[in-house]
Amino acid sequence: MIVQGTFTFAGPRATVWELLQNPDVLVKALPGAKRLVRAGEDRYEGLMKVGVGPVTAADFALTVSLRDKVPPERYTMEVDSKGTLGFTRGGARVELEALADRVTLMRYTAELQVGGKIASVGQRLLDQVAKLMTRQALEALNQELRARLAERGSP
Amino acid sequence: MTRRLVGEPIRRNEDARLLTGRALFVDDVQVAGMLHVAFLRSQHAHARLKDIDLSAARRRPGVVAVYGAADLGDYWRPGPLLVPPPPIAGLVFNACTQVPLAKDKVRHVGEPIAMVVAESRYVAEDALEDIVVDVEPLPAVVDLEAALVSGAPLVHDHLASNVAAHVIQRKGDYERARARAHAVIARRFRYDRGASAAIENRAVAAQWDPRAEELTVWDTTQAPIPIRNGLARLFGLLESQVRVVAPFVGGGFGPKIMMFYPEEVLVPWAALKLGRAVKWTEDRQENFSATTQERGQLHDAEIAVAEDGRILGVRDVFLHDTGAYDPYGLTVPINSQCTLLGPYDIPNYYSEFTAIFTNKTIVTPVRGAGRQHGVFVIERLLDFAAREIGLDRVEIRRRNLLRPEQFPYNHEIIFQDSAPLVYDSGNYEPALDEALRIIDYDGFVRDEQPRLRAAGRHVGIGVVCYVEGTGIGPYEGARVTVEPSGRVRVATGVGTQGQGHFTSFAQIVAEVLGVDPEQVHVTTGDTREFHWGTGTFASRGAVVAGSACHAAALAVREKILELASRHLEAAREDLELAGGRVRVRGVPDSAVPLGELALEANPLRGAVRPGTEPGLEATAYFGPDRGSTANGVHAMLVEVDPETALVEIKRYVVVHDCGRVINPMLVDGQIHGGVAHGIGNAFYEQLVYDTDGQLLNASFMDYLLPTATDVPRIETAHRETPSPLNPVGAKGVGEAGAIPTGAAFAQAVEDALADHKVEITEIPLSPNRLFELLMQAEEGRT
Repeated sequence: MIVQGTFTFAGPRATVWELLQNPDVLVKALPGAKRLVRAGEDRYEGLMKVGVGPVTAADFALTVSLRDKVPPERYTMEVDSKGTLGFTRGGARVELEALADRVTLMRYTAELQVGGKIASVGQRLLDQVAKLMTRQALEALNQELRARLAERGSP
Repeated sequence: MTRRLVGEPIRRNEDARLLTGRALFVDDVQVAGMLHVAFLRSQHAHARLKDIDLSAARRRPGVVAVYGAADLGDYWRPGPLLVPPPPIAGLVFNACTQVPLAKDKVRHVGEPIAMVVAESRYVAEDALEDIVVDVEPLPAVVDLEAALVSGAPLVHDHLASNVAAHVIQRKGDYERARARAHAVIARRFRYDRGASAAIENRAVAAQWDPRAEELTVWDTTQAPIPIRNGLARLFGLLESQVRVVAPFVGGGFGPKIMMFYPEEVLVPWAALKLGRAVKWTEDRQENFSATTQERGQLHDAEIAVAEDGRILGVRDVFLHDTGAYDPYGLTVPINSQCTLLGPYDIPNYYSEFTAIFTNKTIVTPVRGAGRQHGVFVIERLLDFAAREIGLDRVEIRRRNLLRPEQFPYNHEIIFQDSAPLVYDSGNYEPALDEALRIIDYDGFVRDEQPRLRAAGRHVGIGVVCYVEGTGIGPYEGARVTVEPSGRVRVATGVGTQGQGHFTSFAQIVAEVLGVDPEQVHVTTGDTREFHWGTGTFASRGAVVAGSACHAAALAVREKILELASRHLEAAREDLELAGGRVRVRGVPDSAVPLGELALEANPLRGAVRPGTEPGLEATAYFGPDRGSTANGVHAMLVEVDPETALVEIKRYVVVHDCGRVINPMLVDGQIHGGVAHGIGNAFYEQLVYDTDGQLLNASFMDYLLPTATDVPRIETAHRETPSPLNPVGAKGVGEAGAIPTGAAFAQAVEDALADHKVEITEIPLSPNRLFELLMQAEEGRT
């Protein structure tokens, strides 16, 4: 499964980058995320509850490793999640481009292998669910970004 | 006069029990203290197992035991090779049979890794979530051609390649035939996987009775006797200490054959180990990946024809997907190879196949068992050849049909039963004519089709021929007993999955003994009742077990006549059996009921004659030299909407010859069910795997079965060309309906879309796929 797209953040690139590296922020942004902790240099572990269409939501253990970091421009992620309902494995490339002072464009491409029940039963809805979850996460991050910028008293 | 029963549409003896919910299915088995099982199955198509942690699952309240491969000890061993390959010169076969629980590697999604036994299925399922499996995913072998490329990942590491088998069979000299051909037509044909989709999934329950020292196993198997023998061997028990019961089973279709599935071995093993009754019932999700499936094949075939349409020869080279293991040997691809020859006189034939291991569910026979692939290839080739040389598609078939005087006809290659492919009997052209008459082929092509086409409608007709090799050996047996009540008991070893054996066997026995079929109580599939035999497969039940019932009934009839002759003081020649009595012809008052003779045959006092046996009972066996070949013609009318690519089947005609018909109603039922399977196979059912070997449509939401609205009323006609290979004259019919459906469907749809010039070389189709083909054809034209 390939999930790709762009998203425009209403904030400076450095702040966006910062948010993307902060597990406490990410755990709030990711739909269904219950826990996300730093488990080492550029490595995070967590727990997410995800359901796809007819597959009732269940827990997935999640490991994310960041690689090839070029702050604040780009990084790649290795994602590995597994649970009783299936697994996902794969990588994602994330690029940030400063379009203007407070406008940051994100380009992302994820290529994921999906297996188990979420693939065999949820397949029809998988693409849509993945896109929707990505979108929701990015919107939530953007809100957090706005809130932070407001807090800092930026005009 | 003895009443004729064989050939009559007798109503089914078993229906009262089935319709009132009194029939026992395996999941109905309840034993006090019974434990329940759930299996942890692989989510990966191909992965190395690095570590399994069962400790948390074992601690869960309600869990009685959790087993991984390491816990099985000596009982961990690969399953038996069920069908050794036939003796074909130069044959290569690598046997890799399934294991009870994956040890080092998993080779397909759904392969069992661990077994949880708990107080309830709920607890067992919950405990699956406590198991932690650490795997290293490996690249999966999915595509048949990619599997053979050097450097491809290996399903079985100890083999040099993914080749499971390689077989060449030849007849005549194809190359010479090709050299003098008027036309040679070559195409690539693709036939993909489907599920058997029986209404009842698999189930196994087992109980060890320490006082009787007997293991009872209730199993949805089609072949209880081989399962009993194998389990006894595995557990070191006497065969008589193991009773396998296949009670009522909701559809077999092949995958419930004597597979020695992991669950089939592990559930009885756990019952023995724990000393408690244990049950497992497969759920539909499991069924999609753990029950064996239909077959994917890729054929590169060509036909060489003379100017008049006579077939000079056929060459076919194909790849066969056997899945992760090959316990069932080469039955399926050999069926494809042999059935391609169909009802035709093909003097030169070259057929070569390579069976390939893939990281997908195991392939074993499913209704048709590879025969439909052969039929699809030859029927499509004939359609293309007819078009090429400007001959009517019916005419090209007619010119190539075997003639009645050519039987027995030797195809000079080896069939799945290891015997030469010799057709016993047949009369093919009248079957073709009858199908043409019923569907009014001439009228449709001459008047109806042009009229409808002029009105902008896309209607087409398909007419295809096929044969079905049925009724193979080795043998079956039966015991027939007349009880003092006058009722007759019949026991045979084959299992029953809805075929109507309780009626067809009763008819055969009742006719011989002159009793009412309702007075004949048939038991199938219980090794305590009868323990010699093989099972229900290859459309052989009625032929082989039916013939054994017939032979046993004749032996009992002899005993009856012997005894009645003394009892009535009449010559045997003057006696007749009718209405449950023996009577002296022409002397209505001189008669004795069978029950009274049965009592007399088992005296409590007095002397019996030396050399006699007690009771009116006999056991007999029947083994045919080889299989009998049934045949038929399917014809269908379709209408296609090119906008939506939906296909409506307007009429469906089956003219079928399965030799002597025992019960036309049961034969109709078999054909109806088969056609429904065939329609599903042609237009709805396809198991879709992604490039990682994940099955993407493992539910009835996404895997479409034809429903009542998709299956038309099926018009049938029976022809009877008796088989000389058995006393009943019967041939099998179990798979006939499903075999030529794809070929007929393709021809009819192509005909309906003649103005679009669509060419169909693959099955299954779907509205989506047909739409793509329409688009491609359009691009090709512009």
